[in-house]
Amino acid sequence: MILTQKLNAGYKDVHVLFDINATIEPNKITAVVGPNGSGKSTFLKAIFGLASVYSGNVIFKDNDITNVPSHERTKLGIAYLPQVDNVFTNLTVNENLKIAGYTLDKKEFEVRKGIALRAFPELKDFLGRKSGTLSGGERQFLAIATALIRKAEVLMLDEPTAQLSPKFAEIIFDKIVELRDDFNLTIILVEQNITRALEISEKAYLLVSGRVAFEGKSDELRDHERFEKLCMGLV
Amino acid sequence: MPVLEGAIIYANLIVLLSLGLTMTYITTAVPNFAQGSFAVFGSYVSLTLLRLHGLNPIYYLIGEPSGKEDFFKYIMTSIPISFVLGGVLGVLIYVLVLKPLIAKGAEVVMLMIATLAVDLILLGCLGAYAGYLGSITKKGAVKFIFTPYDINIGPTQGIFIVSILVILILLFSLFLLLYKTKFGVAMRASMENPSLAVIMGVNVEYTRIFSWFLSGGLAAVAGCLLPFRQEIVPATGSIIIVSIFAASIVGGLGTIYGALFGGYIIGISESYITYQLSTVFGPGILVYGKVISLVILVITLILAPKGLTGVRWRKIWRRSTSS
Repeated sequence: MILTQKLNAGYKDVHVLFDINATIEPNKITAVVGPNGSGKSTFLKAIFGLASVYSGNVIFKDNDITNVPSHERTKLGIAYLPQVDNVFTNLTVNENLKIAGYTLDKKEFEVRKGIALRAFPELKDFLGRKSGTLSGGERQFLAIATALIRKAEVLMLDEPTAQLSPKFAEIIFDKIVELRDDFNLTIILVEQNITRALEISEKAYLLVSGRVAFEGKSDELRDHERFEKLCMGLV
Repeated sequence: MPVLEGAIIYANLIVLLSLGLTMTYITTAVPNFAQGSFAVFGSYVSLTLLRLHGLNPIYYLIGEPSGKEDFFKYIMTSIPISFVLGGVLGVLIYVLVLKPLIAKGAEVVMLMIATLAVDLILLGCLGAYAGYLGSITKKGAVKFIFTPYDINIGPTQGIFIVSILVILILLFSLFLLLYKTKFGVAMRASMENPSLAVIMGVNVEYTRIFSWFLSGGLAAVAGCLLPFRQEIVPATGSIIIVSIFAASIVGGLGTIYGALFGGYIIGISESYITYQLSTVFGPGILVYGKVISLVILVITLILAPKGLTGVRWRKIWRRSTSS
């Protein structure tokens, strides 16, 4: 569904990703793991057009989208959820949902909003509240709900369980699996909790210093004899 | 004109000007030092319409007492025309000068200097235009005032009613735009977190351009009414910019409500306190009215660096009630 071909990307003069070739398969969860500073978040940003691409291509459904503006990629069906600041804290929950449906007409928005609220019924009680007053877990629910409204086919999650309690983190992992199964979403999951990410995903990429150190099935990486050293970037 | 009435009129106009300044600061991080000249541009649009077509901005809202004006004169008068032309000026300044600088990564100081340059260019253009308008109409246009065109409505003056009506209509429209329309919510979203707004599919650049349109438009409307309160010269903008910045900073540059609070505090204090001081120290003090704004600005910056809207009033209230 998404291909990156010899992707070199970064931020202005800071080169972060080197020759990344990746294939994201449809309706599956692909985990992107690696030590801090390995370029996991930049990988998502490069796919979404928020990082500078120096060379290489991003292909979405056989179309080269390397030079498509980020807001247009949303319309194509790619949703990206940043690690932090992923909801508008000064806007109410309802307004956050509304802005998520910015590219939809009113009728379509109402349908998608219904879908999002069925997936996250907890939000129904908070519609009029400013999202800045929600707990970390509730904000994460809202952030993922906004991605559902965006008619996303591909959902890119950047550390969705960061700063959450273990209980809420577990709920989020369960929700991610539900989203794949119930909405046939293609999910790219960047996660610090490597063990859980590999448990719920089918495919995994291990990035070390901006290069692909492992590509394959998630359980292959999990069962790899040098798994821990690989994850620490020591191999 | 009674002092308090005059203070409220001035405050209403400062609110319009500081609303625009704050809006463009939030959306594009540009401290616009040409905001005062945007207002003077509106004043000259108004003067042009008055001289060339006999249109009076007051009559548009409350009607000429004689009732002889025809319909088109009521509709096509200076308030809406100034708003649109002021908006176009704002967009042109942003697109031609500021946007290219922002794209090249210009820091806030460079953007500030660019707006100072724009202010000087506008000053020159307005001065030249004033001379031209004066020559073709055979009436002086370098200095002008609209007070002779004001009308009495009962015990009060037309400009007082009009300035209140204008601010109520514009604030209500702005509220409807920002809170009840999809584009308005997108504007607020873009103000808070432009990167996330892009992720949501919002074309943030449109919201920035629109905020410059609104800013220019609101300033020009203020400029359209300003000659009913004070004499206008091409350099008036560089005098009132002090009050505009003081209002925005006192209220808090991070939120558009700040402009509202700051605008009334500065506008009313500047006129009213200066008048009260003049009754004690003599009329010579009237020319130092801007000092009041600056004193309030300095005190606010010391006590509440983020402006009044940045103060956690609830926390202070809870503390004071619990102790």
